[in-house]
Amino acid sequence: MSTILATDTPIPPAKIAGRPELVLKSSEFRKGREASWRDLEALIDRVERRGARALSLDELQRLPILYRAALSSLSVARTIALDRNLLLYLENLALRAFLCVYGPRVDARAGIAAFFARDLPAAVRAARWHFLIAAVCIIVGVAAGFLLAVQDESWVSTLVPSSLAGGRGPSSTRADLYNKEIFAPWPGFAESFGVFANMLFSHNTAVGLLSFGLGLAAGVPSVMLMVYQGLVLGAFLALHYNRDLTVDFLGWLSIHGVTELTAIALFAAAGLVIAEKLLFPGRYSRIESLALYGRQAGYTAVGAVLMLFVAAFLEGGCRQLVASTPGRFAIGFASAVLWFAYFRYAGRNADDARP
Amino acid sequence: MTLAHERATEFLEGSRRQQRTIVTPEGVPVTVELADHGERLTAFTIDVFIWFLLTILVYLPLVFFALRGGSALIAVSIVLFIGFVVRNLYFIHFELAWRGATPGKRFVGLRVIDRRGGPLLPSAIVARNLTREVEAFIPLGLLLTWSGTHPDWEHLFIAIWLLFFAALPFVNRDRMRGGDLIGGTMVIALPKRALSGDLVERAAQYVFTEPQLRAYGAFELQVLEELLRRPKSVETGRLFTEVRDKICHKIGWTAPVPPEDTELFLREFYTAQRAFLEREQLFGKPRADKYGGAQPRT
Repeated sequence: MSTILATDTPIPPAKIAGRPELVLKSSEFRKGREASWRDLEALIDRVERRGARALSLDELQRLPILYRAALSSLSVARTIALDRNLLLYLENLALRAFLCVYGPRVDARAGIAAFFARDLPAAVRAARWHFLIAAVCIIVGVAAGFLLAVQDESWVSTLVPSSLAGGRGPSSTRADLYNKEIFAPWPGFAESFGVFANMLFSHNTAVGLLSFGLGLAAGVPSVMLMVYQGLVLGAFLALHYNRDLTVDFLGWLSIHGVTELTAIALFAAAGLVIAEKLLFPGRYSRIESLALYGRQAGYTAVGAVLMLFVAAFLEGGCRQLVASTPGRFAIGFASAVLWFAYFRYAGRNADDARP
Repeated sequence: MTLAHERATEFLEGSRRQQRTIVTPEGVPVTVELADHGERLTAFTIDVFIWFLLTILVYLPLVFFALRGGSALIAVSIVLFIGFVVRNLYFIHFELAWRGATPGKRFVGLRVIDRRGGPLLPSAIVARNLTREVEAFIPLGLLLTWSGTHPDWEHLFIAIWLLFFAALPFVNRDRMRGGDLIGGTMVIALPKRALSGDLVERAAQYVFTEPQLRAYGAFELQVLEELLRRPKSVETGRLFTEVRDKICHKIGWTAPVPPEDTELFLREFYTAQRAFLEREQLFGKPRADKYGGAQPRT
């Protein structure tokens, strides 16, 4: 910029007596306000480089005042000035100041507290019908998978990808399933948390985020993914049913499955919210409607990711430690009650208080 | 309205960026410039690179100290997990703390803003970044770990899916990707602009009459302004002479202008012209260009 500034140093005008001086309104306007613009620019520069904490209390109080002054300068300049450099500068200054003044609030602790106490349960409650649809899809999938595989176990290997099957299939005997799966010994800390919990978390998050994000494709993939998850589960159920292990299998499943399946269904519910707003935007335009409800759907998805953390912890770590079916059922039931109570009741007063 | 300066920008810089107007809560419309696709890709690539380094940085001490002697499977699954956590925290943290800019965006000069001019909410940032997983990281991860030799249906599907999301910013007006749609945000370019000195000359050595000043409009005035703001060189000197001759011819200026006074003459003409046009604009008779239209021709 220094080169440009250099050309602007005024050439000493050869004053000629008797000639009128030209006084431009825009020029006078600029002279009166330039100091406050420069002041604002210096403040913004510091906020942009080091954050709002770089400003003293006095400067923080000055920032919004200077910002409004710059906005009004911009409005005036648009009507009275034809100085292109000045107009571009003021537009830019006003926008940068606007982004400083109306930037996101970064009180992380308060934000996180509000998320758990109010925003997440409210988002889930808003998506309860979508959640129900997702749950029905899973149940339909389970029923179909069960009915298919209970007749013909070759369906198990068709429906379940080998990475998920982990050696379980039509050839597994009752003893195999009982000793190596349901009551397998705890493999140790590193193995169970490092590998198993992790793999489960990665796999489930991928599936979940898919069903959330593909809500943008009108929700069709979300629904299909839910049915597919149900199919896999149903096939496994049939496998154990045929070997008379239904109750033990359900116990083995419930300890983490309650949390995990709820989370997966929540992802799909979030995806379906997006799909609904895309297909039936109501009073707003599609884009506006998406923006209005998409954020809430995002909250639901974040909550579901956190639930998958919990599920992976329960599954990878605790499942093989609790080696009794009633104990597993107890934990599964307790988690179901807790999640239900949390989503149903947390932050309801805050809901009512809001307009 | 001063649309003239936008037209001058288009003329001087070859092309004009796509612009949108947001209205601040104070009710003042402010023009924003949409980020180009290339800029956004550059910013994203930088961010992915930083993410990659960060992941390795977190991962290496873990492997060397905490899990000495673990299996390769443990190593892979942990690196996947750390990668997931780091990239999500990275994007969300920086967009929150740096007011809508990640290091990559800052380097390129981009910002995320609320599309309607409201405050950028944390929920919008979370929503637009969670979708990033679906838009880029999951399909890219699947494609990169693909070990097959011939294409199959699954990978065809993944490729279509990547293309769908990659094409989204090209098929809507505001260049929004999926995350921007859901978060209600858009990405703008925010270069810093400097305020140069005022070009106005105080004392008038040359005096122009009204018909002479009526020869040009705001557009020509701002092109002249740009010329006068250029750093001095032989080239600009030549241009000054050329422009002076053109102006003299157009307004019928017959008095001689000594060569050493060329710049002074141009600056005084600029001053007089600006004073005249600004006054006309205040009186409700804006002149967009030399054809005399109130609005610029497109």
